[in-house]
Amino acid sequence: MRTRTVRSVRAAGLALALVCGGTACSVIPTGASRAVTVDDVGREDPLDPPYARVIAMPPNPDWRPEQVVMGFQAAMASVDDPSYAVARQYLTGAYAKEWNPDSGVTVYQPSTTGDDGGDDVDDGDTEARITLKGTVVATIKDRGLYRPSDGPLDEPFTLVKEEGKGWRISAGPDGLLLSEPDVKRAYRLVDLYFLDSRREGLVIEQVQVPLNPASTFAKAVVERLLEGPSASLQGAVRTAFADGTRLIDVTTVDNRVVVNLTKGVSSDNVAAMSAQLAGTLSGIAGGSSFEVRIHGEPYYSSDRPLGIDAQQQLKFDPWMAPGNIRPFYLQDGLLRQLGKDNVGVAVPGEAGGKNGSFTHPAVSGHNLRQVAALSENRDGISVAPLLPDGKWTQWVTGKDLTPPSWDRYHSMWTVSRPSPQTSVVLRHYYDEAKHEVKQFRVAAAELNTVDVTALKVARDGVHVAVATRNAQGDEEVKIGTVIGAGADSRIDNLQTVVHPEDKRTITDIAWKDGKTLYVLTGKSELLEASLTAAPASQVAYPRLQSITALDDYLLAGAKDDEDNQQVLYWNATAAKWEPWIRDESGAVAFTAGGPSFPVFPLG
Amino acid sequence: MPPAKQRRRTPRQLVRGVRRRTRRAAGRLRRAFWRSLQLRVVTSTMVVSMAVVAVLGVFLDQQINTSVLNARLRAAMSEAQADRIAVLGFLSQPAGEPAKQSGDAGKSLQSGGDSPLSQATTALANRAGSASRYSVIICNRKLPGACFGTTNIDERAVTDKMRADVVKQEPGKNSLWYGDLHYKGGSEPIPGLVLGARLDTTGAPQVHNEYEIYHLIPLNEEEKTLNAVRQMLVVVGVALVLLLAAIASLVTRQVVTPVRLTRQAAERLAAGRLDERLKVRGEDDLARLAASFNEMAANLALKIHQLEELSQVQRQFVSDVSHELRTPLTTVRMAADLLYDAREDFDPMAARSAELMQNQLERFESMLADLLEISRYDAGAATLDIDSVDIRDVVLRAVADSEALAERHSTRFDLRLPGEPCMAEVDSRRVERILRNLLFNAIEHGEGRDIVVSVGADRDAVAVAVRDHGVGLKPGEENMVFDRFWRADPSRARTIGGTGLGLAISREDAMLHGGWLQAWGMPGEGSQFRLSLPRVAGAELRGSPLPLVPPEVEMRRTWRGQMTPVLTPAAVDGGHDAD
Repeated sequence: MRTRTVRSVRAAGLALALVCGGTACSVIPTGASRAVTVDDVGREDPLDPPYARVIAMPPNPDWRPEQVVMGFQAAMASVDDPSYAVARQYLTGAYAKEWNPDSGVTVYQPSTTGDDGGDDVDDGDTEARITLKGTVVATIKDRGLYRPSDGPLDEPFTLVKEEGKGWRISAGPDGLLLSEPDVKRAYRLVDLYFLDSRREGLVIEQVQVPLNPASTFAKAVVERLLEGPSASLQGAVRTAFADGTRLIDVTTVDNRVVVNLTKGVSSDNVAAMSAQLAGTLSGIAGGSSFEVRIHGEPYYSSDRPLGIDAQQQLKFDPWMAPGNIRPFYLQDGLLRQLGKDNVGVAVPGEAGGKNGSFTHPAVSGHNLRQVAALSENRDGISVAPLLPDGKWTQWVTGKDLTPPSWDRYHSMWTVSRPSPQTSVVLRHYYDEAKHEVKQFRVAAAELNTVDVTALKVARDGVHVAVATRNAQGDEEVKIGTVIGAGADSRIDNLQTVVHPEDKRTITDIAWKDGKTLYVLTGKSELLEASLTAAPASQVAYPRLQSITALDDYLLAGAKDDEDNQQVLYWNATAAKWEPWIRDESGAVAFTAGGPSFPVFPLG
Repeated sequence: MPPAKQRRRTPRQLVRGVRRRTRRAAGRLRRAFWRSLQLRVVTSTMVVSMAVVAVLGVFLDQQINTSVLNARLRAAMSEAQADRIAVLGFLSQPAGEPAKQSGDAGKSLQSGGDSPLSQATTALANRAGSASRYSVIICNRKLPGACFGTTNIDERAVTDKMRADVVKQEPGKNSLWYGDLHYKGGSEPIPGLVLGARLDTTGAPQVHNEYEIYHLIPLNEEEKTLNAVRQMLVVVGVALVLLLAAIASLVTRQVVTPVRLTRQAAERLAAGRLDERLKVRGEDDLARLAASFNEMAANLALKIHQLEELSQVQRQFVSDVSHELRTPLTTVRMAADLLYDAREDFDPMAARSAELMQNQLERFESMLADLLEISRYDAGAATLDIDSVDIRDVVLRAVADSEALAERHSTRFDLRLPGEPCMAEVDSRRVERILRNLLFNAIEHGEGRDIVVSVGADRDAVAVAVRDHGVGLKPGEENMVFDRFWRADPSRARTIGGTGLGLAISREDAMLHGGWLQAWGMPGEGSQFRLSLPRVAGAELRGSPLPLVPPEVEMRRTWRGQMTPVLTPAAVDGGHDAD
């Protein structure tokens, strides 16, 4: 018995030694014969990028009045306190009840120089006034609608000393006052994708979405998308989501972003919904594909989940990424299209063969391409199909017409100015069956009493840019939206994006995409304007005549000092303008009657 | 329904039943444990290895825990150190930068949100990545707007106690806590590590010296890893214990199997199968044991064979002698009968001699008859003449036969017979002879006191007990009484003139019936002989309807045992008795 126990113990010891030895000889496998996939746990979650945030701190009784105001500013900038409970601690009881943080955000740039506006406070004082000075940069209203604005900031704060608590703010401006860095830290600019009125195209709205530490950023963005468009697009766009759809969660499963909703959409809206989600999340999800679930269940049936490609929005709306479209231009009054090696080829039909003395061509976007061009004395617009037997047909006659602009629904826009300070916006449809042009007057109350010098409908079919001149000769550029079709068309929600400046004239405007507009001024300045940012100057070139753009392509018609013409291409990598179009001999040069009025379809 | 009601058992009964069954199972287990060497070895191996594995497992678990957490802690500390340097770099930017924070807070109202601290926090946020690595909280509670955090960490994760510790601690020195980290929007707190320190501003006097930096490191991944390791340890430990048990079982089996075979062979040998031998394989200890066993068996068989032969010769001799003696004895008897019949004509001396000779001849004859009878048993020639009889009748006949002798010894019989018949398939002649022998024996040793004859019966057996109140038997004599020619007191003369073979023949008769004949006796208490027979011939006897020890003696003994724990007399032949 005893020897047996000894033997078992020995056996146990041997087994243990084998196990220990077996594991110890391979601490780190150096002779790995196959690749091992390792999960990168420390990797960033694309749905929730890292960020820094202000933590609101209650006021300190020892602080001086200006320190209390600073603390209040910081508390206002804190995103993790949606009810602003800490910020209210900086206020007197009465003012805390009165103060309404939800009445909008004023974004300002603190003045870097000068006085802080604070009076020197003595120990015995019980009241103090602090003035916050700076420049108003923008406002954020109505669910993240960020609109640049300008003007000086001069906001006085009145403080009283409360016994035992120190200084408290008893009066101040309503709403939130956030400095630009605060906004940069607490908000993110997001593109929300909505549908145009026909549910064929996508319309982008840029909004500021506040970061919420209690949820992921992707969740906040989808929630904002489900809320629908803000006032500036109201009526002009649709959404594929059913009313009352709520978001349950956005998670990442196997490198796929899963959007879990409470309601599905009808089968004919699935593609549109997919495009909206893919587009909205494309900036966040970093190329991941998507899946939509309803209450955690796969969308259609258990065996086929609704998968969405990362770039679904590009498939849904071809104008989101039009790809390599060759531009058109005028040369010797003939329309040519850029061909191989940047050598122009005459378009088929009369437009490319018969000198019609037209300017400002515009090319339509649909399959049956048409070109519309303004007559030289601006009293008529003719349209010719780009077909071998395409002939010029006069569509519009009027006075002082603006260059034509096609939209994606095959209608052609122009503005007639029958008398000074009177503009009539016109929209034309071609009735294929009756072979006649139908003209509708577009309601645009704001434009009727000014001179409209240019009107361009964006490729999304909803945004429209107009350049106007008022009676004082101030020229400005506005962006609005097109609502309705045919006789019910109207232009609304006009927002000034380029404010008038002394003696600045607007020569041409061109849409880059649905968000950004290029503006060419009379001084040959090139500005990049959008609803959400102040205009930014681009590198200009002397004597630019016209511009056109398509995503990253930016072309301009230019003249040299001898009035020779050439089309220039903006080389973004070299950051300079380059002559673009070669003649038959391969030379790139400014020539008399050379290439001019470059134009991409639509926009 | 009443029957169902009857069948339903009360909880108490159920509990009792369960307890009974458990006890029975435990008993079986205990027996199995003590009977099986293999089971004992395997059990002890398992117990020992379990203890070893448990100790090793706990040790390993602690080691792994410590090393994993230490690695994370070291990484966190170096990151925290780097972060502190970065923050100090941001905060000690030279004056004149657009955003001037620092100690001169009063004049920096216009600095807005783009303070160096905010830039520092943004830099730390980008360096730390998502919350799964770590979160940072930087706070200076003396300055307005100087509290920043990264990720969605809830600032409540830094408790007042931690703050107090950090404020007390020297700048630059880490304080360390393990605790639950709360995240905004997260429902469950995550176990984590908090590293807190005050910013060491000795190199940058323009920076306010009360910046506290907390690094909050979630340890849920580590927890997952450690849980997985722990599970693995448990699984491996269990597997190891089972493996060891299997090994022990295998090893013991190699030893126990030959031992078991040897035991079985010994049992068969004991049962009389003298040709039983073991197989001898190899040359190890066990093979030598088998060889020795075989040798022993062979010697034993030889010895037994020789003894059997000798015994056979002796028996034959006795039988032959008995036969040979009969013929002359018949002649002698005839002559003696003549002498006896004519004794009245002899002188008194001669007449007395003739009477004596007649008596002794009768005794000689019966002795010879007994000898012949017993040699028939020895030769295995005895047969039964089975008949279904009422044992009471047999008893009455035997008692009637003994009546005369009893009267001579002034002994009375006390018969205790059951009311109903006690039928049994027996050879009534032989049973009567047994009873006669028992009664004669009782009369002879009963010293004139009453003799109790009891008859008992149950479903399977009948029994007759004959109780006398004579001198009794000494301990150890209960079996010797059945030996041939055995005498309790050799000095005592046989009064009745028994042959000394009566009880031996009686026992052979009883055994021939498949029954038992047993004796009990105590000095001064008298003795009792019990004959137990199966009711059906050939059936195995499992018990006797009557007790071997008289009830009154048993009662007295129990009573005495309860009063004073004295040593009870040695137990009587209990081997076969199922009472």
